[in-house]
This record gives sequence, C-alpha cells and structure tokens, in this order.
Amino acid sequence: MTSDTGPLRIALADDAVLLREALAGSLTAAGFEVVGQAGDVAELTELLARVEPDVLILDVRMPPTHTTEGLEASHAIRREHPRIGILLLSQYIETRYALELLRDDPAGIGYLLKERVTRIEQLADAVRRVAEGGSVIDPEVVARLLGRPRAHSPLDELTAREREILQLMAEGLSNHGIAERLVLDPKTIEGHVTRIFSKLGLEPTGADHRRVLAVLSYLRAE
Amino acid sequence: MQRRPGDLALLAALGVLLAAVAQYGPFLYSSPLRTPLNPVFATAAFIGDLLWVAAALASYWRDPGGRMWKLLLASRMVAALGAIWVVNTSLTWTIWQATTGLGTVVFAHLVLAFPSGRLTSRYDRWLVIGAYAVLGMARLAFLLVWDPRSTDCFPRCPVNPFVMWPSADLAWLLGPGLSLLIPLLAVLVCVGLARRWLRASPVLRRMLLPVALVAPLELGVTAARYLVAMDRDAWQTVGVTLSTSPLAFLHAAIPAGFLLGIVAARLARGGIADLAVELGRGVPLGGLRDTLARALRDPTLALAFPAPGGAGWVDPQGLPVDVPSAPTASRSVARLERDGQPLATLLYDPAIEAEDPGRVEAVASVARMALENERLAAQVRAQLDEVRASRTRIVEAADAERRRIERDLHDGAQQRLVALAMRLDQARGQTAGAGEIIDATTSELLQAIREVRDLAHGLHPTILTERGLAAAVEALAERASLPVRVSIPQDRLPDEVEAAAYFLVAESLTNAAKHAAASVASVDASLASGALWVTVADDGAGGADAARGSGLVGLVDRLAAVGGSVTVDSPPGGGTRVTAEIPLRRGAAG
Repeated sequence: MTSDTGPLRIALADDAVLLREALAGSLTAAGFEVVGQAGDVAELTELLARVEPDVLILDVRMPPTHTTEGLEASHAIRREHPRIGILLLSQYIETRYALELLRDDPAGIGYLLKERVTRIEQLADAVRRVAEGGSVIDPEVVARLLGRPRAHSPLDELTAREREILQLMAEGLSNHGIAERLVLDPKTIEGHVTRIFSKLGLEPTGADHRRVLAVLSYLRAE
Repeated sequence: MQRRPGDLALLAALGVLLAAVAQYGPFLYSSPLRTPLNPVFATAAFIGDLLWVAAALASYWRDPGGRMWKLLLASRMVAALGAIWVVNTSLTWTIWQATTGLGTVVFAHLVLAFPSGRLTSRYDRWLVIGAYAVLGMARLAFLLVWDPRSTDCFPRCPVNPFVMWPSADLAWLLGPGLSLLIPLLAVLVCVGLARRWLRASPVLRRMLLPVALVAPLELGVTAARYLVAMDRDAWQTVGVTLSTSPLAFLHAAIPAGFLLGIVAARLARGGIADLAVELGRGVPLGGLRDTLARALRDPTLALAFPAPGGAGWVDPQGLPVDVPSAPTASRSVARLERDGQPLATLLYDPAIEAEDPGRVEAVASVARMALENERLAAQVRAQLDEVRASRTRIVEAADAERRRIERDLHDGAQQRLVALAMRLDQARGQTAGAGEIIDATTSELLQAIREVRDLAHGLHPTILTERGLAAAVEALAERASLPVRVSIPQDRLPDEVEAAAYFLVAESLTNAAKHAAASVASVDASLASGALWVTVADDGAGGADAARGSGLVGLVDRLAAVGGSVTVDSPPGGGTRVTAEIPLRRGAAG
C-alpha cells in the first residue's frame, strides 16, 4: 500500500473544519502529503473518485446524523478501494466497532481515539503502520479490555512483562515493533508471544493483523 | 312499503286458498292415473301448508317491503300448481308436465335466501339462477319433443298440443333424465347452507337453525323420490312409501321453527325487564357492554362513546375505536343522543333486527342512564391515556434535548480543545524553556478533553441508537469497575424502551459499584408478554430504597412515563435486585 517514491499521500474526512485544517498542517509538517479533504461522505466519495491516497483518515461521525457515518463509509471504501489504508478517528472508543472493522479485513485498518492527533508522532506512526498494511488499535480499547474486572481468568497467569506485550500485540504492533518499543531483542519477544498464546490457549497465527483480531476477540469474550 | 292490515288479510286468504287447492283439489276430479286419495293424509298436508302460510304472514308483518313473504307465497303457488294434473285436460296436463321439478328449485331458493329473502353470496346466486335456467330451458324443449301418444300412458293421458318434433329419446333426456340433476342440486344447496352457517353470526345461526337442520333431510328425501320415480317398480315400493310416510311433512318443520323463533324472541323481551332490575342494582364500570349483550342476545355487541375532544369515538376502556358512519353488512349502528348531543353508539349484529325488530331500541331506552355513566367513565379513561401520552412526549422531548446537548458539546468545546492542544504541540521546541509549560498545558487539556468526552457519552451513548440495548449495555459493562455478566436479547426495541432500560442499567450499576460496594453484578433482560423485563442484581450491601435515593426516583418516573414499573428488592446485607417491566407498546400496561 505504500508508494515507492515520495511522501505518503493522505486524504482527510471530517466535518469539523478547524480540526481538519490543523490536522492537515501537522501532517504536512511531519512530512506527509495531504492530497485532499472532505467534509462529509458525499464529498469523500467524490474525492476518492479523483485521487487515490495511500491512507484515508476519517472521523467516525459525520453529517447528516452524526452517529456512525464514517464507520459505514469505511466498509464501502474497503470494497471499492481495497488499496487505501483506513484510519478511523472516534470521539468515543467502542470495542464493538473496533472488532467490526477488523472482522471485515484487518489489513490496513486503524481505529484511534480522536485526541491521539494531538501527539503527531503517535499519529504519524499509526499512519505509517496502516499504510504498510498493519492494524492499529487504540491503546485505550486494549487497556479497557485488559483492565476489565474479572473473577478468574488465564490472564492472571501472565507476568507483568507478558501483559505488556499482550497489550502491544492487541494494539497491532508486530514483534519487531514491540521489540523496538520495549528496547528488547526480537527473539526474546517471540519467546514471550509463544508463552502468552499457550497460557491463553490460543492458536498461534501468522500474520500480525490476524493476531490482533484473535487477541481482541479473546479479551472481549473472556 | 307500509304494512296494511287489508293486505295481510288478502295474503292470508290467498295462502289458505292455495293450500286448499294443493291438498284438496285432487278430490274434486276423478283421474284415471292417480293413486287412491287419503283424506287424513291430505288434511295433515294441509296443516303443514298452513304453517308455511303463517310464516309468510309473519314475514309480511315484519318487513312488508322485503322479499321473504313473496318467496313463501310463490312456493305456495307452485305447490298448488302441482295439483292441476288431475284436471286432466290436454293443456293442464301439459303445464303440469312442464313444471315438474319447479317446486324443488323454489324450495332451494327459499332455503338459501332464508331468513331475509335475499341471496347474499355469489355462490348462492349463481346456484339458484343456474337451477332456474337449466330447468326452464329443459322443460320448454321438453314440450316441443314430448309426444304422449308414443308412450304406454296413452290413451289414458291427454295429448301434448305443443309438440313439434316428437322424439322419445330426447323427451326422456329432457324429462325424467333431467331428474338426475336433482340430487346434484340437493348437494350444492347443502354446501351453500354449510357456507352460510360457517360465516353466520351467533344471532343469525339461531335463526338459521330450523332450516339448517331440516332442509338437508328434506332435500335428501326429494332427491330419493326423483331417483326412484325413474323405475316403475321402485316407485311402487319405495317412492310411494316416501310420499305417504310422515317424512312428507318434514318440510313443515322449517316454518314451524321460524314461527317458534319469533315467539321465542318475543318471550325474550322479558329479558329487558331483567335488564332494568340488573341496572337498578348497579353494573360495575366497564361491565355494561356484557350486560347489554346478554339482554340483546348479541355476543358481538360493541359500545362506543364520543371521545373527550368531540372528534372520534372511544370504547368503554377509553381507547380510540372506528365507528362506521353507515351500517355495513356485518354491523348495524344505533346512535343514541341526549339533548341533541351524541351519547353512545351501539354496534350490533344486523340479524337482531330480523329476529326481533325494536329490541335494540327497547334495550337502549332502558339502559340510557347506565350508558350515560359509562360514557363519563370511558371519557375519563381516554383523558387519562392522553395524560400518559403527553407525559411520554415530555420524556421524549427531554431525550431529544440530551442528544442536542451532546452534539453541541462535541462540535463546540471538544473541537476547540483539541485544536488548542494541537497548536501547543506544534509550538513545542520553538521557544527555549517553554517546553515544560507547554507539556503541562497539553496534559491538562487532554484531561479536560477526556472529562468532556465522558460527560457527553453519559448523556446519550451513540452505540445505543446505532446498535441497540445489548451492545450498549455490553459497552457499559466493559467500562464498569466491577465484573458484570450481561445476558440481553439482540432484538432492536422501540427507542424509548431501549433508552429507559439503558439508563436503568447504568444507574443500577453505578449504585452497585459506588454505594453497595458490590464485587460482582449481573444484567438480565428478556421479552415476555409484550414487555421487556430487565433485572440488575449485585452482591453488595443492600438496603437501597426507591423512595430515597434520588437516582432511583428518577428511574421510577422515567419508567412510569413509558408505562413501565420498577421494583427494588434490597434487604440489608443481602444484595440488591432491581427489576423493571417496560411495555413494548405504549399504554399496554399501567
């Protein structure tokens, strides 16, 4: 999904003009190319007919009902433009919506709390991961599922380090990404991941984005 | 058409004359063909005929403009015509031959048209028209081809003056052969009768009963007679027996039943006196309809009263009902007034008027005062429903307002705060030493953003509108500070039901965590008897009281507005169990 040459091309869809412009400014400053902006789903459809960005950043709620227009639109965009990575921003985080998104096709999908845009390096990282076909899930979704009060659960068996790694896996990071984040050797991470999966009784999955869905589903069901 | 005593007398005289001709006419002539006459038998038959005449007179008395008495008179004329063969002239003999079978078709017509004189269904109309047409054409053709001179009856029987193309085969086919159709007609009439019976109201069935019981038997005997008449030997044994046994008087049970029904209906007028006594003793509010239905002998009776606003009608429970402006085939309408103002409307079975004209009026006049009471009660109930509806509208308006506030917060304050935080983030590093301040400001702003977000989300969660109660409560459980087991059907329910249930669960879970110090909670919902049942239970300290906790009072009000109710079971130290019933349709409960 990345273009071989030049900066990543981004399209923005959000009905709040102030925020959209600020976001465009931040992204441009961070070295991305903002190729178009839209204020609602109709404008967005029209925009995507003209340009095909690498990543589309869109708000979950847009006119006319201000509920889940962006969410519904992302399903349609997935079908018509499968090469575009989609990063959804939401004022509120609902784990159900995150799972609905991933279940469709977890590659190149991200779901972030809207206020993450205030940390441009975090946002830039998420945009890059989505552009590379990875999945990005907001830490708050994972924290909520992981931190949920439970009576008894295999999760109690995990060490602090393993919990940390599980959190990062659920956020969509690859072993390599986790290793970088925790400043550890990727081989060590691999060992941890295998142990976590066996403790939780999960089948090991190959692709990172499949792993996200498996882990999130597990946490939600548990 | 007005009924006139003179016409009635004329009709009576004609009827008696026709009956006399039919039964005693044969005694005046000596015919070489006839079997020996029996005066006792003839007198019995005469009395049977008089019952039919009496039924015709009663029909005329009730409805001089109707068809029933004409049809009854016609049947008597056809019966009298059956006696003219004994005159034994060429013309009378031929006419008699040509009208054979007509009596059976008229009888079929009479049976199907009973008691109004009208054929009400398309099946009945086509059957009767078809029978007349087939019989009429066959008999006309028969006259042209039948030549008695070629039969063994000649020379005892006279010649046919109309014969043009004598043919013995055709004559058999159009004459005795046609009689084979009589059993078919009998079966089809019984089918028609069965159809009417199945569709008839209880009142109409009461009137149809003698016909429904006797007509199939009578038609069966007739069919048998026609069949055995085709064989001379069979006729001599079976046919004569059928014609001279008491079975020959079976048909008289129909007018007898009809007349008895009239007498019974008259006697039932005594029930109106009972009604006056019953009303004097006092009828519970809402029970008047049943009392009147008994007095009218119409279980389908319905009452309607003018709605409080003056537009439309309400039933005794105060619920809006449709009242046809004109009577229909299945409903008659009686409007009662008081000082020119509508008082009540009675919707009843039209067969009541046929059974006993004037009974509705009599019942209504006796029940006038009780109807007035019932009208007031129904109108109060209707007003109460209206108050409930308006209360619901108020709650709905409040919900809409919550949604608006939530949107305003989202589009206004939140966007501004986010933009500000971004600008601060961009400014980082541009001024030496300002980094820490900017960092702190950003953190505080983020905290504010989080607070505003939580506030907005608490006002009305989007997921409730978008994905329904089950999804919204699951999301609520995820965020709860204690483990919550959720079991809720995935069905989408009316907005106000979902909202009421959601806020009940939210408030109960907050209480469980905050006040009751519970360690675990469960939310169960199910749909039963037109309502959503929600139970929130915890293992906390208990001792909650719906009358004291302000959150619980709000819940009680909110549920009352959608017609629901809450019960709180919270013994000290025994956990808390909040159970709510929320009707799915407004006004279905409470």
